[in-house]
Amino acid sequence: MILAQVDLPALIRSLFSERGAVAVAVLTLFVGAVAGYLVWRGTTNFLRRQGVDDAVEGTLFERTVNNLGLSTVGILSQLAALAVYLLSVILALNVTQLVDTEFFWIRFTTLLPRLFVAALAVILGLVVGDKAKLVVSDRLKSIKLPEVSLIPELVKYSIFYIAALIALGQLGVTTAALLVLLAVYAFGLVFLGGLAFKDLLAAGAAGVYLLLSQPYGIGDEVEIDGTRGIVQEINVFVTHVESDDVEHIIPNQRVFKRGIVRIRQ
Amino acid sequence: MTAVGTFLDAFADDVEGICLFSPSSSLYSTFADADEPVVVIGAENTVDADVFVELPLEFRDPTERIRFGVEGALGQDELDEEMELLCVLGSFGDDMDTVMRVRAGDFSDSGVYDLFANSRADPSVVRNVLEVSVELGKKGQKGKPVGALFVVGDAGKVMNKSRPLSYNPFEKSHVHVGDPIVNVMLKEFSRLDGAFVISDSGKIVSAYRYLEPSAAGVDIPKGLGARHMAAGAVTRDTNAIAIVLSESDGLVRAFKSGELILELDPEDY
Repeated sequence: MILAQVDLPALIRSLFSERGAVAVAVLTLFVGAVAGYLVWRGTTNFLRRQGVDDAVEGTLFERTVNNLGLSTVGILSQLAALAVYLLSVILALNVTQLVDTEFFWIRFTTLLPRLFVAALAVILGLVVGDKAKLVVSDRLKSIKLPEVSLIPELVKYSIFYIAALIALGQLGVTTAALLVLLAVYAFGLVFLGGLAFKDLLAAGAAGVYLLLSQPYGIGDEVEIDGTRGIVQEINVFVTHVESDDVEHIIPNQRVFKRGIVRIRQ
Repeated sequence: MTAVGTFLDAFADDVEGICLFSPSSSLYSTFADADEPVVVIGAENTVDADVFVELPLEFRDPTERIRFGVEGALGQDELDEEMELLCVLGSFGDDMDTVMRVRAGDFSDSGVYDLFANSRADPSVVRNVLEVSVELGKKGQKGKPVGALFVVGDAGKVMNKSRPLSYNPFEKSHVHVGDPIVNVMLKEFSRLDGAFVISDSGKIVSAYRYLEPSAAGVDIPKGLGARHMAAGAVTRDTNAIAIVLSESDGLVRAFKSGELILELDPEDY
């Protein structure tokens, strides 16, 4: 953007001759090629060092590009290198004034970064969404319930949706309607989730206190809400109290609400 | 080859059930359509078999492995005591190299499977405690053999039937057996006398407990010391199980309902 304000071609022509401008343009292209290569290598190494190639292993995007003989890391680094190449080409064109520079600068300098961010958002969205699905379904593997497979899919498509929104927003497409949809979805998720998990959250909050300060421990005889017995287990959500071969599992918020009677012999 | 073929035919004749120990998926698929019931036994159900018995320990001795697997399958009512079984397993490596023919009812019911599957505590907790004891038995405390007594499950009742010998180092801590740091802690605290009490979910409730169950009528093999007597007695009085590492002979023993169920040599694992 700053470059656009300086009259670069005129500056170069005043410093060098007309022929010098061509030489500068060629030099720019050459430097751009070298810089692009370095950026490509640097990005590849950096991504590999961060373990990105291991992290994306097994996602749909990675498998698809693998079939085409590419890899996610390769695509990301090539994208970065491409940005550098394009920049150098534009600079060179501008210096030689082969095309209408005014037009070029305004259109390209605004569009190019956005285009790259959009591409990046799409790739990241695809990879992260797929990865999230894998992680969630791995966590839910022990639950043998067919309906449960809906949750990972939901997570995946939510992330895809957000990635698509970012990409479209970058390209300047009107996304207001889609944004409203997202807001409604998020609100529903938070509101209904809060409603559904109300008791669980209350039990968890009480459980954190009970675990930290331990007003009663395993082996103590207590009376909670009319149930008397020996404490067998305390975890974040429930307390197990056992009396005469009957085990009561009491939600922790009830312990908190009704108080505890500790029975000391 | 014909002699070998005839022998193998006769060997596998009228077999009524098949036990596969940690099979590869290709081996499992060759047996999947067999008429006989197929039981998969291993550390993990990698082939998605319908009938699966989980091995909690890496039994190196094939007979121990078969005993546990068959007991587990009998416990799940998948096999009959009268059945002739063909057991396929790898004795010397991961490849299948051993085929054994056994009658399911020939094993005296040792209760080892029952110890894991039908105890109050989670099977994984029992397994973790056994692993800790085996490791403790192998390495000892600074090279010297140590003894230890773990009472697992029914912690509330056990706590009421015991008293503290010293301050409880696990007071207000929330460590579970199987956490990486715990092995070191248990090793340190095993230097002092007393029992470890572990809850159903694996939380270490207390160390240095002096168990006070009534030992009347506890029948354990002669020659075992006070630690084993206490272990047998506490499991008779409560629904807990007890895992003991003997200081004198270095063996790990498990008790349930006052009886000795399992005896392991730590050096074998």
